[in-house]
Amino acid sequence: MTDIITTKNLTKIYQGHIKAVDSLNITINEGEIYGLLGPNGAGKTTTINMLTTRISPTSGTAIVAGKDIIKDSMGVRKSIGVVPQDLTADEDLTGRENLVMVAQFYDVPKSVYEERIERLLKLVDMEEPADRLVRGYSGGMRKRLELIVGLVNEPKILFLDEPTLGLDVQTRTQMWSYVREIQKKLDVTIILTSHYLEEIDALADRVSIIDHGKILITGSPQELKASLKGDVVTVTFKTQEQADIMKRIPNVVEVTDSGPNSVRIKLENADDSLPDVINYISSKELSTVKLTVQKPSLDEVFLEYTGKDIRAEEPGDARKTMMNLRRLRK
Amino acid sequence: MSGLGPLTMRELKKWYRNPVFLITGLIQPFFWVALFGSAFDITRFVSGADAKVVLDGATNYITYIVGGVLTITGLFTAMFAGTNIIFDRRLGPMGRFLSSPIRRSSIVLSKILSAIFRILPQALILVVAAILIPNGLVFANGFNVIDALVVVAAVILVSFIFSSIFSVIAIRMTNMNSIFGIVNLVNLPLMFMSYAMFAPGMMAPWLSNIAQYNPVSWSAEAIRTVIINGNVTTSAQWTSIGWWLGGLAILAVALILFTAYMAEKEIRD
Repeated sequence: MTDIITTKNLTKIYQGHIKAVDSLNITINEGEIYGLLGPNGAGKTTTINMLTTRISPTSGTAIVAGKDIIKDSMGVRKSIGVVPQDLTADEDLTGRENLVMVAQFYDVPKSVYEERIERLLKLVDMEEPADRLVRGYSGGMRKRLELIVGLVNEPKILFLDEPTLGLDVQTRTQMWSYVREIQKKLDVTIILTSHYLEEIDALADRVSIIDHGKILITGSPQELKASLKGDVVTVTFKTQEQADIMKRIPNVVEVTDSGPNSVRIKLENADDSLPDVINYISSKELSTVKLTVQKPSLDEVFLEYTGKDIRAEEPGDARKTMMNLRRLRK
Repeated sequence: MSGLGPLTMRELKKWYRNPVFLITGLIQPFFWVALFGSAFDITRFVSGADAKVVLDGATNYITYIVGGVLTITGLFTAMFAGTNIIFDRRLGPMGRFLSSPIRRSSIVLSKILSAIFRILPQALILVVAAILIPNGLVFANGFNVIDALVVVAAVILVSFIFSSIFSVIAIRMTNMNSIFGIVNLVNLPLMFMSYAMFAPGMMAPWLSNIAQYNPVSWSAEAIRTVIINGNVTTSAQWTSIGWWLGGLAILAVALILFTAYMAEKEIRD
């Protein structure tokens, strides 16, 4: 496999001391869907912004599609497509006019872009609304338009920053199939950041978990889940004393706190060991409020490596997020 | 791969597709020439011979102020050229522009260029309106192609100057109200601290002293000279026009270069 992106000690320091991205060294293979997962302020968007040349690194560099992001930023921009987190289409123009304008930014000749835009519209089922003003689009339509705006220059690499943020579950699943379709048909490498673990799980060939500007682990979603070595049982009790007693349970992989009156127990195999846990609870006469068994999921992987629950996180810039949601719901 | 063409086209589409924006912009010059022409008509207070002096030789007050009103129309439209930069930043398109392989200066220069394209039809309507209204614009000494070119050059240059200034202000701004506040603060002072409405001799000396350095005055005076004198023949008049247009041109070029430099360096999401 060939590398299409290689970062070399890529670093971004804000205001002289805030290390948003810390000596990042990653390689992304041609043709894969690569997911970047991390809590708020982990450095995901900063990394994407540096790779797409929207901001320049404090030190280090990266080679994107064979071009240096610092020495040849225009060359990088020509080879990549970007679908930013925010909606970028002009509401006063039609979908097609937006696509044509961006095609002209890349000096694509008219004869080429007309045919290409037609093909892209078809790919995401947008032929019908293409000549209506974007202002009248639904949230799903706007996101589909954003997706193909990033493709009018036939990029080698497509960056998707939170592509389904604010969409309902049904529309989100639909977006996933479009992303898969794009990767298959257009043979493009996709870099994806997402807040939805199931999105990364469903789409990514490989995923890196990033926190405090550093990569914690990289692998396929299956490998990451397997790396957890076991299932997780979470038990909630009526009091903290009971939770503390539970923490003394023998013969388990690991026991940790998991919120008020709760304990997170890691077992090699829940199917075999769950009876032991239940026996321990009844032998100590503890009163449980809730007991859940979780097979390894990306959520658990995330919690394991970052110590944080991604569900508790609010994505990105709150103002922009709210604005996007408002516009998507119109 | 500058992006200036498609970006300017986008601005113009937004303009001609918005009927309110289009129509108000086109009616406005008519109002101005009719209202200003009546409201400030000083010839009502002076008799025949004196009026000629007050009006610098013009047949009537409308003929005298057409140069001023043309300039002010350019000025007022140009001052809003930068506001769309803030809209683009707030509504999202800026993110797309910044990740495209276009020159960043094109983002700002497209606003300036489209403002010029919007001003030209306004200027044409204004001249037609001034001719049509009673006691309106009279070309007593004729009007030729060169005169017309002087008028167009003055309006375009003054529009470049002020749209550049206000675009530079908007490059780093995120709040629409700030720029509206600045526009409101300076629009009337710029207009009244110039020779757009009144001859230098009619103004308080301190005001006239300031007004002579105002580009609005240069444009108004240049247009006025060709409108009043028609086929300009005297070299003294050509020298004055040359100074005024030259001053405007130097200022316009300097400000556009500065705007382009600031846009390349400073514009961000």
